[in-house]
Formats: sequence, C-alpha cells, structure tokens
Amino acid sequence: MEALAARYAGRAVRSAFIYTREAHPGENFDFHSSMDDKRANARAFKEHSDIKRQILLDNLDGDAHRAYGTAPNMTWIIGRGGFVFYKAAWTAVKDVEEALVNAIDFQENRIENEWVPFYSERAAWSYRDPDRFKEGLERAGPKSVGDYAALAAKRKAAQKADPEAMRIVPGNFYKPGDD
Amino acid sequence: MDAVPRDYNYVNWVPDPSEFVRFADEAPKATSRAPSFPLEDLETGETVRMKELWRGSIALIEFGSFT
Repeated sequence: MEALAARYAGRAVRSAFIYTREAHPGENFDFHSSMDDKRANARAFKEHSDIKRQILLDNLDGDAHRAYGTAPNMTWIIGRGGFVFYKAAWTAVKDVEEALVNAIDFQENRIENEWVPFYSERAAWSYRDPDRFKEGLERAGPKSVGDYAALAAKRKAAQKADPEAMRIVPGNFYKPGDD
Repeated sequence: MDAVPRDYNYVNWVPDPSEFVRFADEAPKATSRAPSFPLEDLETGETVRMKELWRGSIALIEFGSFT
C-alpha cells in the first residue's frame, strides 16, 4: 500500500493509515489501555514497516473504526464531498488500485460524460502469506500466537480434508450447500 | 453511535465473524456519504478531521494496526 500511495500522490489522492486497536495483541505489542499505548505501538509500526503515509490515531474507544465497520484491515476510497467509492473488508493492493483508477476516472470525467453513479457489490480475493502472518504474530508475542493457534489448526484440517473447498474465512459469507 | 463495547481493546483475540457482518451491513455503503471523526496525527499530535482527507482529493484510507 505504501508504493500504491506514492504512485498516486501526484494525482490528487491523499493517503492515510488510521491506527485502530491491536488486532492480535501480544506481550510485545499489547492491547491499548491508554492513548500513550496506542501512540507507542503506532510508532513501532511506522518504524518497522517504514510507513510514509500519514498515520492518524483513532481514539481509544475506536469511534471511527467502529463506525466504519470494525474490520481489522479494511480499505476505503472516499471522493470529494465524502462520496464512498469503495470499501473492502480486507486490503489487497491489486483490488484497491483497480478501484482507485475507476474513482479517479469518475471524478475527472463524470461531468463531461454525464456519468451517474450506482451501487454495486462484488467479490475480491487475495493471497495470504501464512509465513508472513506467522511472523507478525510472533513479533507481537506468545499470547498472540496462542490466541490464533486453535483457529489455524482447524483451518489446516479443513483444507486437508477438502483442498478444493472454498475457504470460509472472516470477510466472506459463503456457506456450502448441497447443490 | 452505540455504546462503546467494553471489549473493544480486547486482551485476547478470538474469532468474531460479526465484525464482518457489521462491516457489510452497518457501516456506510458504497455511494453513501462517509462519516467524519476527529483523529490524532501521530507525528504532530494535532487533531485531523477525517473529512479533511477528502476535501479536494480522493482519500485512500487503510485501517489497521501493527499486529
């Protein structure tokens, strides 16, 4: 997302990272009991991940995060006047870029082309690197690893039982049927 | 705004599919108007209103945390 933000900074796109609660708190980067906790973890994140985007802290109660749906790593594209172009339950750069290109096109050309916006839904997908995810849990601390272990084992067993089955993960609502 | 959930800053992560239901069903829809909240700039400590992000620009906003 850093590279994407840099690529579009010259096209009137303002990028920001809103820092929420910790998704997988651990001993090293634990849950926030104060704004100082939140600031400290956000600074560690900025340094570790070399974040150039503006980092904005939500308040301790997560008012913005909760209003926008509370998903742990979502991305939104919002146009002038607060028009919501795009919301995604997970952040996938390819999907975000496609939506961003469309949003820029609409904003720049809607008057000339007399375009009228309408509501649409679709599915998107991404690859989740399990090793990278595990690294993140380990960085957070043993508690974070332990919290996730039971779900990871369950998913691994399900995938082993039926490798071709659609993976049911947070963020999709698919329920297998008999058809 | 609903009352603040007591476990917003939870101590231990547990899977919560309702997060994504809230995202799909209760959060603003595409084509609707985004709400604005005051946020704190990590670098300066100054308050930034979300609507400043989309004033004259397209705002690309990622939510997340280190963990």
